[in-house]
This record gives sequence, C-alpha cells and structure tokens, in this order.
Amino acid sequence: MLLPAPKPEILARRDSIVRRLRVLAPDGVVADEAGLTAFDGDALTAYRQKALACVLPKNKEEVSAVLKFAAEEGIAIVPRGAGTSLSGGALPLADAILMGMGRMNRIVEIDYENRCVVTEPGVTNLSITRAVEARGFYYAPDPSSQIACTIGGNVAENSGGIHCLKYGLTTHNLLGAEIALPGGERVKLGGKAGDGGLDLLGVVAGSEGLLGVVVEATLRILPRPPVTRTLMAAFRSVPDAGQCVADIIGAGVIPAAMEFMDRNCIGAVEDYCSPGYPRDAEGILIIEVDGVAAEAAHAAERVTEIAKLAGASAVTEACDESERTRLWAGRKAAFPAMGRLAPDMLCMDGTIPRHALPRVLVRMAEMSKEYGLGFCNVFHAGDGNLHPLIIFDVMKEGELARAEAFGAAILQLCVEVGGVLTGEHGVGVEKRDLMPVMFSDADLAQQQRLKCAFDGAGLFNPGKVFPSLSACVELGHMHVKSGRVPFPNLPRF
Amino acid sequence: MISALTEADVIDAVRAARAMNRTLEITGAGTKRAYGRPMFCDDVLNVSTLSGIVKYEAAELLLTVLPGTPVAEITALLESKNQRLGFEPADWGPLLGTPIGNATIGGVLSADVNGAAAIRYGRARDSLLGVRAVNGMGEAYKAGGKVVKNVTGFDLPKLICGALGTLGVLTEVTLRVYPKPAQSVSIIVRDVNVEDGFALLRRVWQSPLEATALAYIPASLPLAQLGYVGEGAALIRLEGAHEPLKEKIAALLAIAPAAQQIEASSFFEAISSGAIFAEQSCDLWRISVPPSEAAGIVRHMGSPLFAADWAGRFIWIGLEAGGNGAELRALCECAGGQATLVKADKETRQRVAPFSPESPARRAVTKAVKAAFDPQNIFNPGRMWKAV
Ligand SMILES: Cc1cc2nc3c(=O)[nH]c(=O)nc-3n(C[C@H](O)[C@H](O)[C@H](O)COP(=O)(O)OP(=O)(O)OC[C@H]3O[C@@H](n4cnc5c(N)ncnc54)[C@H](O)[C@@H]3O)c2cc1C
Repeated sequence: MLLPAPKPEILARRDSIVRRLRVLAPDGVVADEAGLTAFDGDALTAYRQKALACVLPKNKEEVSAVLKFAAEEGIAIVPRGAGTSLSGGALPLADAILMGMGRMNRIVEIDYENRCVVTEPGVTNLSITRAVEARGFYYAPDPSSQIACTIGGNVAENSGGIHCLKYGLTTHNLLGAEIALPGGERVKLGGKAGDGGLDLLGVVAGSEGLLGVVVEATLRILPRPPVTRTLMAAFRSVPDAGQCVADIIGAGVIPAAMEFMDRNCIGAVEDYCSPGYPRDAEGILIIEVDGVAAEAAHAAERVTEIAKLAGASAVTEACDESERTRLWAGRKAAFPAMGRLAPDMLCMDGTIPRHALPRVLVRMAEMSKEYGLGFCNVFHAGDGNLHPLIIFDVMKEGELARAEAFGAAILQLCVEVGGVLTGEHGVGVEKRDLMPVMFSDADLAQQQRLKCAFDGAGLFNPGKVFPSLSACVELGHMHVKSGRVPFPNLPRF
Repeated sequence: MISALTEADVIDAVRAARAMNRTLEITGAGTKRAYGRPMFCDDVLNVSTLSGIVKYEAAELLLTVLPGTPVAEITALLESKNQRLGFEPADWGPLLGTPIGNATIGGVLSADVNGAAAIRYGRARDSLLGVRAVNGMGEAYKAGGKVVKNVTGFDLPKLICGALGTLGVLTEVTLRVYPKPAQSVSIIVRDVNVEDGFALLRRVWQSPLEATALAYIPASLPLAQLGYVGEGAALIRLEGAHEPLKEKIAALLAIAPAAQQIEASSFFEAISSGAIFAEQSCDLWRISVPPSEAAGIVRHMGSPLFAADWAGRFIWIGLEAGGNGAELRALCECAGGQATLVKADKETRQRVAPFSPESPARRAVTKAVKAAFDPQNIFNPGRMWKAV
C-alpha cells in the first residue's frame, strides 16, 4: 500500500507546529513517541504509521482553530474517531495532524418529542441507545463495534450493522450534521427538520473524512418494537442457506436482521464462547423479526416455512431473552473468535445481489484453496453484504500479499456479479486501488470533483479512497488516463 | 426542443450546448416547470423520451429504469408483483396546473417529492441506490450501485436527488422497492384542533405502530370523502397482514379512543400532492419544521388554508398571493426548519426566493458543488437560487 510521500518541509517544521497546536488546543496535544504509537493506526492492523502530531480538541471552536492553522500552513488532517475502521480510513500520515474526536463525547440534547438526539461526534454508537432506552427508544444502526466506535466515525463511514436490513444505514438515520471545512469554517447541514437546497448531508455521510470534520450530528431515534423474536436455521449446504435468504426477501418478508455464519466460523465461535450453534451444520442463519406481537409471530411463521422449504435441517427459536442474547453473542464474537485461529485477519466487505449468494459462496471456497489461506464467512445475509474473514500470518513470508490478493479477488468477484467493493466498511486505503474495478475514470473524476468542491487543497485525509492523486485543476476537464499507476514515484509504505 | 432517446443523445445535446455557450432547461413531463425560480434557457432538453424499464428484479427488491419513465407505469409494474415505492411519490401535476398521472420518475427524484409513506420508508433520496448521469462537460458517469448496501465512493445519487436538474441529466436510476403489506386501513380522528391533532399524530409517530401516513386537515379545507371533520381531522394509515393490523388498530385505539376506520384512502395522496389546494388562488408554501413546533407556527400564521403531512414535519400553508413569506420564513428558521414557495405566479417566484436563502458559508459550498458538476452553468441556471 502506497501513501503520499510526506512533505519534507512539513516534517522539518514539526517542533514549531506542535508548539502552535499546544496554544490552539491546550492540554489536547499528543506529540511524544509513546503517545503517538497509541494512535498509529486503526483496525486494519497490517498498517501502522505515526502521525506528525495528534490533537484532541475539546469543542468545535478548537476544531476550527486547528483547521484554520493547518490550512494556512498547508498541513493535512486525518480525522479519527475510535480507530475501529477496517479499511484504514483513520490511518495517520507522517506529515499530517491526526485529529482525534474522542474528547468531544457529550450528548448535547435528547428530544423525544421530535424523536432525535443531538450529539458530539466522539460519543460512542451504543451510548446513544443507552441514553434513550429507558424511554423505549433506540438508535438503529448497530455496527458490531458499537461499544467502541464513535458517531463521527459512523457518519464518515456510513456504517451499517445487523439491523440495517430493515432500519437502514447511518445515512438513513442521520437528520443533520455540523461539519468543519478545511480552513475551519463550520456549516450546518440538515437538522431536526432537514433542510432545502442540495443534499450536502447525503454526500457527507460516507465521505470517509474527505469532505469535512463532523463536529455535531443529529440522529433519528426509533421506538423499540414491542416484540422481537430470534430464530436460528441450520443448513447442510451453504448454497441452500444462500437460497433461503433470497427466498425470504423475495417473499416480501423483511426481517429486522438476517445473519449468516459458515462451518469454520461456527466452530471458532463455539470454541470461543459456546453460544450453542450446531457444529455439524455447513451454515446457519440467525434471523430476527420484530414488531407488534402478531407481526413478529406472522413473520416468524413465514420465515420458518421458507427456511424448511429451502432445506433447513432445523429451525429453532430463542425461547427467552437470555437465549436470544446468547445467540447474538456468538455472532458478535465472530471476529475475536476467528482472531484466535491465526495472528492476522483481513475482513472483506463486498455486497452482492442476493440471488448471487449461492454461486459466490461456492466460488470463494474454491479460491481459498487456490490461495492456500483459511477463511470463514460471516455476514449480513439479508443485504447480501459479505464479510469473508481471511486468516493469515504477517510473519510468514508472502502471506500478507497473498491474503490481500485473495481479498482483492473476492471483491472483484463481487463486482463481476453486479455488486460493489464495500457495503459498510468504506474504501479507505484498503480498497483504494480497487476502485477502478468498479468505477471508470469518468466515474472517479466526478467523485474527485466533488472532493475538490469541499477541499480544493486536498488537505482532508489525503491518500484515502482515490487511487490516483489528481490536482483539482486537472479535473476541470477530463484528462485522467486509464491504467495510471497509483501514486507513481512514491516510496513503499 | 431537443428530445433525447438515448444517453448518447443527452451527451450530444450537452456537448453542443457547451460548445455554443447555450443553456439547457432539463425537463421530463414538465409537471413541475412552474416550481422554483423562473428560468430563461436557450433550449429545452426533453428527457421524457428516455423512457422504459431497464430491469425489474422483484426478488431483489430492485428496479432500474430510464428517468423518463412515467411514475404511473412504475407503480403499475410494481403493483403486479405486490411491491411499491417506499417514498410514495406525490404527483404535483394537478397542483401546478398539469394533468394528473404524467410525472416521470426522473422529475420526481430531481424534485425529491415524497408522499405520506416516506415517513416510514424514507424519502426519495433514501430509495435511490444508483444513477447514471451526464455532467456539464457532456461526460456520462455512474455513481452508487445496484445493491441495497453500498458505501463505495461518494453517495452522489443523494446529491443529485433533489437538485432540480441543476447538477446534470439523469440517464438511468436504480431504486430500492418495498413489499406491499397485505392490508391497509385509513383511520380518522374527527373534531380535533391543531394542537391536539398534531400532538396525537406525534404520539402515534413515537409509538411502534409504524404508521405509513400521519396527516391533518382543518375544517376550512373540507374533503367530501371524510364527511364531518369538526374543527379538523387527524388522519392515520396503518398497514400489515390481517392479525398484526388488528393488533395495531387496537393499540391505536388506546392512544386515540375516538379513532374511526373509514373506507376512503385517496385523501392521503390529495394532501401529500397538494392537490387539495389546486383550486385555491393563494400562494402555496411548503414548510419543513420539527413536528413539535408545527402547531405553533400554523397558529401564528393564522391561515385557514393548511394541511400537514408526516406528523407535522411537512406542512402546506396557503398565504396571500404575491407576499414575500418573510414572516413564515423567519418563524420556520427560528424553529430550526425552512420554508419553500411551491406555487406562485412567475413574478412572485422571480422576486421571492422560492428556496430558503443559505448561510454564506454554505452558499460557498453549494456554488462549488454546482461548479464541480456543471462548470459552465448549462443546466437549469438559476432554478434554485440566482447562482444555482
Ligand atoms: C470488531 C469490529 C466490528 C465492526 N463491525 C462493523 C459493522 O458491523 N458494521 C460497520 O459498518 N462497521 C463495522 N466495523 C467498522 C468500524 O467500526 C466502523 O467503520 C466505525 O464507524 C468506525 O468508527 P470509529 O469511530 O472507530 O472511526 P475511525 O476508525 O476512527 O475512523 C473511520 C473513518 O472516519 C473518519 N472520521 C472519524 N471521525 C470523524 C469525524 N468526526 N469527522 C469526519 N471524519 C471522521 C476517519 O478519518 C476515517 O476515515 C467494525 C470494526 C471492528 C473493529
């Protein structure tokens, strides 16, 4: 993975930059080696890099002041929430200020009457639900990382979760945001009642820190459904499970969640926390339905019927809350459980049309043999959002490269069958060089022009998302040549 | 008028306009030509001829169509598989003086016009998964994808949705569609004033009943199909299979004991589309405010001509023709919302900005975004604001 070469003139000014930052964000600057090591990457663990300096602003004003200074000095900014990005979105750059939003962790307002919460960006995802659940509400997007990841990071990645099948991704639950632009000026987009004009909020969601720093967000909260029922269907063949997913959606049932795990994953999870999954199944689906009692009952019945027709060997239901929690605990422990099988893990994130599930699942198993690397499949089946986990060992000669090649091949397959490179984790640095698999030069140029409209100097999160650095002036008309080597002349990172 | 039959035609038209420094009015069926600031374009680029279903994958809940496809055709197609568009596109044609049923999907998306059910399923922008479009340089590009969950690259479809054709010409759109519930009932709570009516709608909205319509009309705008409404009527739609629906109705009765089922249901569309105001000579504004502030604003304005959708988040308000709406705008902005002038004569739309003016910082971003898509200002110049 190549990142833009650090600018020597900025590295040379490091001391004076740090001194200035200490004035702008008193007691919020980390500049010592040990401190910077703590912030030297995110959950794409294969990549590490220390920042020039790290700033932890306390409020919007400090954010703006730092951005103003950075723009004047031509210093790049890498925004960071909790650093749980799986695509390297929060990976620091040697010549950039890492702006950690973790100290802006106050919920500003809870407005039940208008069903929304106004929050600072550093508040964790789960805290929103925790803050409103006593009154029967919750915040729907629920990434598995929800105890750690922040709302700012969620907005930047347009994160999903288990329940976005029925309740949407972050963007569908985001009513407004205040963002700070390069130079520090702040703009309000949307709000409790939305706004008119261009849907700038719509493009800021999922912009991976490239368009602005989110300093406040207004989130929609939902009334908790009175009844939730959780079923588990076991299958003797993976394609059957894939077919079952397509059949359920095709039959007009939209479960609140529908998650798949394959045999490798079931075994790993059973060893790790024994949620009671059938070890002999080739795959299981955990399906949750909700609503008023009769609605959940109706959906549970339909799902059971369809699963049996699709060849499920058993369909069981969690009989109480503790069993339900246990079923989900297994799913949520998939990452750490797989993590015990090998030192390193790559989590892929393509989305495919649901009808292609059986075919893609079979092909991935073949590829695993071709690349000689173990993997397991655990994913948001209802959305067709795959999360193959590839396990490998960085210390073994060539394994990282092979794992990355395997991952890239999976994503290419996703695009080939009509899908996309990333369903919820973002492009970051990880999938950056694969963007041309899905997008033509013209497609990418249009996206980059939008980037330029917000950030003409390219100061926000450079080196992420786009495979080639085009100066904004070049994009005025189309001269992006195909086959351009990403970041030519840049040293290997 | 140039009529485009293919994306290549659109590209040719845009390149020609660019070369000759001419501006283009982009139009579908033209049902919303009277919406926004009046424009003076050199040519009209008609895309209603770029029409047809590209691919309907009912089992995937996906529909790809050309933008000139009439919404009516799409609705009928989806109906045949028991599906529908979640945002329940409203037809502004009758309100703005064109026949009912002409609107194209491209126009509906470009104006982001939503119906009652959008309160449950999200707005048009939430259903638009992917697009092909032609920018102001005459280049075709695609953005988004053809799957329900995608974060690859910037979400340009959202930006184009609601941009009123100022950023480019849509040439293909992919939409998420929804299964249609087995049954649907309309419910009326009669003789409630604005405060009580809106409060009731909010209570239902805050409950887990997942109502797919929460509207209100006052006595001054009687709809024959509703019968007696007293001071005004709160109107609710609940949906589901037979048993779940029974349970939801019972739960609703606990919130609103006076609720009654009624046969009619077309009034939801009449309210969402503004068709109930078609005969009125007033100027018609559409405001978007936090629901809890809605009743206060309606009371303060004192106009007998209003109707609410989305539990008060969207309200039509009729004001005296030719006014500048300054008071309404100030009230809405103060409440954290905004007001759009939807129907007025040309002179008024020229004089009064139909869309709320933006803050200077935001205006700068909007202008830069416009320039990023249409640097020569070819498409619908001045339709939203003078500069965009
Ligand atoms: C175990 C595990 C499970 C996960 N499960 C899921 C899942 O189910 N669904 C899912 O979608 N993701 C999942 N993720 C990925 C990750 O948690 C999400 O992408 C999350 O939203 C990142 O939030 P963060 O606060 O950690 O952001 P970071 O990782 O710190 O940053 C992510 C990106 O957002 C930008 N950013 C952060 N804060 C701001 C801000 N305030 N303004 C502007 N830009 C900002 C950064 O520059 C970076 O590009 C998982 C990750 C892990 C480790």
